Amino acid sequence: METVTKRLYEGLFLVDSGEAAADWQGINDHVKKVLERNEVEIVKMCKWDERPLAYPILGRKRGTYILVYFNAPCGKLGAIERDAQLSERILRILILRGDHITPENMEKDTPATIVEKKQVASASAVKAAEEAKAAAAAEAKTKAEAKDEKVSNIDEKDEATAENKDDGTSDVDEKQD
Amino acid sequence: MRGQSFKKGPNKPTRKKKRRDNVREQNQCRFCRSKTKYIDYKDTEILGKLLTHRGKIFSRKRSGNCAGCQRKVKLAIKRARFMGLLPFTS
Repeated sequence: METVTKRLYEGLFLVDSGEAAADWQGINDHVKKVLERNEVEIVKMCKWDERPLAYPILGRKRGTYILVYFNAPCGKLGAIERDAQLSERILRILILRGDHITPENMEKDTPATIVEKKQVASASAVKAAEEAKAAAAAEAKTKAEAKDEKVSNIDEKDEATAENKDDGTSDVDEKQD
Repeated sequence: MRGQSFKKGPNKPTRKKKRRDNVREQNQCRFCRSKTKYIDYKDTEILGKLLTHRGKIFSRKRSGNCAGCQRKVKLAIKRARFMGLLPFTS
């Protein structure tokens, strides 16, 4: 009885970015199907990055990379590559042995996740800035209202003192008369 | 004219070579220094530094890599080129 040894491999699939943006789940399922057809056990599968290609491949200028870590019998790699090359949705594929890959390496942030995190951080920063602005505006409004009240009080006091003064002068005038 | 002396005048400033006592020459390549065993072909930031603006790989003399690391770099760059991460030429 033959014993089939499975090794860990790292595969990078290049797909058209337009198609990936339109139907990400469909592309994901397609790559999974290509792998699972060949008795592959997928460990991790994620979007690596979406970037412009260094040179056009099959007329495409942008591409989306899908990174897959999988355990597979060593004899099946040729079949996987052939299937990927026959597929019209997969532009390129590169499979390498992943003996050096540790679980920590697998969990490392990919460029796509870094961009997502940055976007989330910037969105939260913008939100916080807006909230701070609104709070500052509200504070300024309350201060202005308080100032207005003070000014009105002072005006009232001034008017009252002016009236008193007027009264005093009239008395003096009367005395002079 | 024979016998004419070309001695520098006393007022002429003489150029002295700057002594670089503080700068120590690196005796290991950048990958050996950081103890990287595997050079990832997906790390285009590092690999891009080892290419000319036309996309050619720098020589060992230019990049300062050791022989083993230069071989690893070569393999990584060629893999990255195949996947469209780095250019063959530009």
